[in-house]
Amino acid sequence: MKKLDFIIIVVLIIISFIPQLIFAVTSHGRNSKLYAEITVKGSVYKKIQLQGDLNQSVIVTTELGTNKVQIRNGKVSITEADCPDKICIKAGEISKSGEILVCLPHKLIVEIKGENEKDIDGLSY
Amino acid sequence: MIKTKKIVFMSLLVSQALILNFIESGIPMPFITPGAKLGLANIITVTCLYFFQFKEILMIIILRLILSTFFAGSLSGLIYSASGAILSFFTMYILKKIASDKISIIGISTAGAVFHNIGQILAASFVMKNLYITLYLPVLTLAGIGTGFFVGLTSNFLVKYLKNIFPKFKSKDFG
Repeated sequence: MKKLDFIIIVVLIIISFIPQLIFAVTSHGRNSKLYAEITVKGSVYKKIQLQGDLNQSVIVTTELGTNKVQIRNGKVSITEADCPDKICIKAGEISKSGEILVCLPHKLIVEIKGENEKDIDGLSY
Repeated sequence: MIKTKKIVFMSLLVSQALILNFIESGIPMPFITPGAKLGLANIITVTCLYFFQFKEILMIIILRLILSTFFAGSLSGLIYSASGAILSFFTMYILKKIASDKISIIGISTAGAVFHNIGQILAASFVMKNLYITLYLPVLTLAGIGTGFFVGLTSNFLVKYLKNIFPKFKSKDFG
């Protein structure tokens, strides 16, 4: 074992982390392309871009009931609802792609989606 | 060194590589990525580096790849083993050419093992059309360094003993 061997091994380990670095840098730009999609009874009601410091409230009123969806600092939460169990409010806030808030009695779904949905969620052979 | 002895030596090395593939398929390897292997056949590649010229080692590798694909029975593994074997061979050859006095056989084989993994990962991401597979690289590299160390150690012994039986071939002997 010579000295250069160790240097090579260290260089190899550093090289192996390059993909991690690349993905950390590129997905930073990706997150700003997230949007919240509000769906009522299966059809899309509204789509809202989650810009950095957007503060917005959306009041969704249907014949089933009313929900108030609040967007603040890139996080989405349901702050008011006239459903009996209020599970949608207790669910708290969501911010990442794929996370959802659901109000079953009102058939309301709030989902966060990203622009690029080509990522594989799972793989098996 | 007469041609026949050289051909026999090369064939023996190819068959040894095939046996190593066979043994390696019996060792359970956590399937982090598809087709990832221990790369024991690299022992043969590394050993060849100290006996043969570039063209000859390449022939041994290609023969080994084709025959092991036949024996494995499925063509799909070929792209992984081929990319890993070729990339690691090129890396080791270049490393040995530029710094053979400053780097021991263990360093060369470790680099070869890691690039074997890199080649397999690149093939996997190409096949799956998904670049996220490259994120497995650090884990595989650590395993590759361990394997490479072992491969280098084994090759070291092999080269030492084989040198007594088969002195270094000059390229004019071939063909």
